[in-house]
Amino acid sequence: MKNVMRQEFADTMLEIGKKDKNLIVLIGDISHFILQPFAKACPGRFYNIGICEPTIVSMAAGLAKVGFHPVVHTIAPFIIERSFEQIKDDFGYQKLGVNLVSVGSAFDYSDLGCTHHCYDDFALLKTIEGMQIIYPGSPLEFNLLFKQTYANGLPTYFRVPKVTHGIVFDKSQIQLGRAIIVQKGKDLTIVAIGPQLKTALASVKPLRALGMKPEILYLPTIKPFDRETVLKSLAKTKRCLVIEEHSMYGGVFDDVLRSAKDLRGVKFAGLNIGNTFIHEYGTYEELCTTLGFTPLEVLKKVQTELL
Amino acid sequence: MCRVDDRCGWGARKKLFLKSMKRNNALRLQIAEMVFKAGEGHIPSAYSILEILSILYGHVLRYKSANPRWEKRDYFILSKGHGCAALYILLEKHGFISRSDLEKKSTLGGILGGHPDSTKVPGIEASTGSLGHGISIALGIALGLKIRKKKNKVITLIGDGESNEGTVWEAALVAANLSLGNLCVIVDENGSADQILPVNPLRKKWQAFGWEVYEVDGHAEKKLLNLLTRLQFSLSGRPKVIIAHTIKGKGVRFMQGHGVWHSRVPTEEEMTMIREELL
Repeated sequence: MKNVMRQEFADTMLEIGKKDKNLIVLIGDISHFILQPFAKACPGRFYNIGICEPTIVSMAAGLAKVGFHPVVHTIAPFIIERSFEQIKDDFGYQKLGVNLVSVGSAFDYSDLGCTHHCYDDFALLKTIEGMQIIYPGSPLEFNLLFKQTYANGLPTYFRVPKVTHGIVFDKSQIQLGRAIIVQKGKDLTIVAIGPQLKTALASVKPLRALGMKPEILYLPTIKPFDRETVLKSLAKTKRCLVIEEHSMYGGVFDDVLRSAKDLRGVKFAGLNIGNTFIHEYGTYEELCTTLGFTPLEVLKKVQTELL
Repeated sequence: MCRVDDRCGWGARKKLFLKSMKRNNALRLQIAEMVFKAGEGHIPSAYSILEILSILYGHVLRYKSANPRWEKRDYFILSKGHGCAALYILLEKHGFISRSDLEKKSTLGGILGGHPDSTKVPGIEASTGSLGHGISIALGIALGLKIRKKKNKVITLIGDGESNEGTVWEAALVAANLSLGNLCVIVDENGSADQILPVNPLRKKWQAFGWEVYEVDGHAEKKLLNLLTRLQFSLSGRPKVIIAHTIKGKGVRFMQGHGVWHSRVPTEEEMTMIREELL
């Protein structure tokens, strides 16, 4: 099956690379073939450096120093967890811009084990001053949010999932740092990110059967966090469920709780990944079921923790 | 600036040697006084690289201290950031920072700390301190300049202890593979690695990684000058490495070697001894 998100990454590089001579792409031996159109159209600005992620990240800082807008692309745990200190020191501390574009979001590499999983990336990167974190759940979101940020001189992480949420938003809705109100409601706010928007939407019908009218917020940007939209919704619904393919520590659930600490009478629940390594193998969908990313689990959470 | 020349006679060479020793002793004393006042610093690591930095800033690097971001400047990155006391003294000497900046080292509101901060200090190209980063940043700068066909030199100084870091060897592989002939690494081979995890034979290792290798006495200014000014930087070909054999704590006998002095701040009595030895 064609990976439309990764293809969109390659297409966007080509689109921008033709116009902006400062765009340069460094990869750690992944997506080499789909980036060939970029390599051909932008000679001297595509490098398959090798399997040495921390060095690739530091190199990008050197390229940023001489005026390039570097893109570093490889599998999430290697670009974020292994190279975290390089991101912190070479971009955060030095105030240099970079675009870190991963594949292998959360447990996308569902049959490769935890060496290839990465669901603490938001928690790690949020600690870095100036860092922008983008989690596009559709090709259009990647394209537009990349264009909005790639040259703004800040470090930006794009967590690119394998699976899309399947919704096509209007271009005007896709803005850095802005949540999208997918569906208005009155007695429950579901905050969903990435492909889990699909789970949120699939939960609407059974929730309605319970007599509830959920409001669904979707966040393509994790940092900066759209506190205002979330708080406005919570003030109305007084109930909140966050669905995220992220560790229970440091994800969007934490951002929501921190933002809402002064709101009275609101109940919160999170559907996320516990403090555990996933030792199961299977398809992405099978792991979603095992981990509880299903409408059934949403219903259970709502019934046991929010009613 | 004292210029050592092959054509000088023995008497002239002796005179120049004494003059340069006196100058370097004065710089070493300035480093010790700054660390003493700040209550923080790595004196021996600064002493081992003093002559290298002195030659670089005096004769090799192109820069405009009044315009540190000058586009045609050569890039120097002190990858072993803890040796920055020597760099600060030379940046002051060459007009990048002021005497007042030196006096405020390690104080609130000052721009100089125990590791250099590129966002605060004019002339500092990279914030180093965590070992194994500066060399890879230099590698990226060299690649960027090569893409843009710019002739600026890129020089980075790493430690032999730093050479325990895997990223040093990742960078070595990548630079040779990308034919970055505009990049030169200087290794301050002061024997630190030998204390724990030896890295020698460095020459053979760098040769095996595809680099052009040179060795020099890192305290012999004339030899450093000859080597560094004759080095051919180019936008292709092999990157260059200079293994500079140095003495940690060079210049003050009781500080030399690998004991407690690595990050120790001298007492008042010890400062008196340092002054006596260097003056």
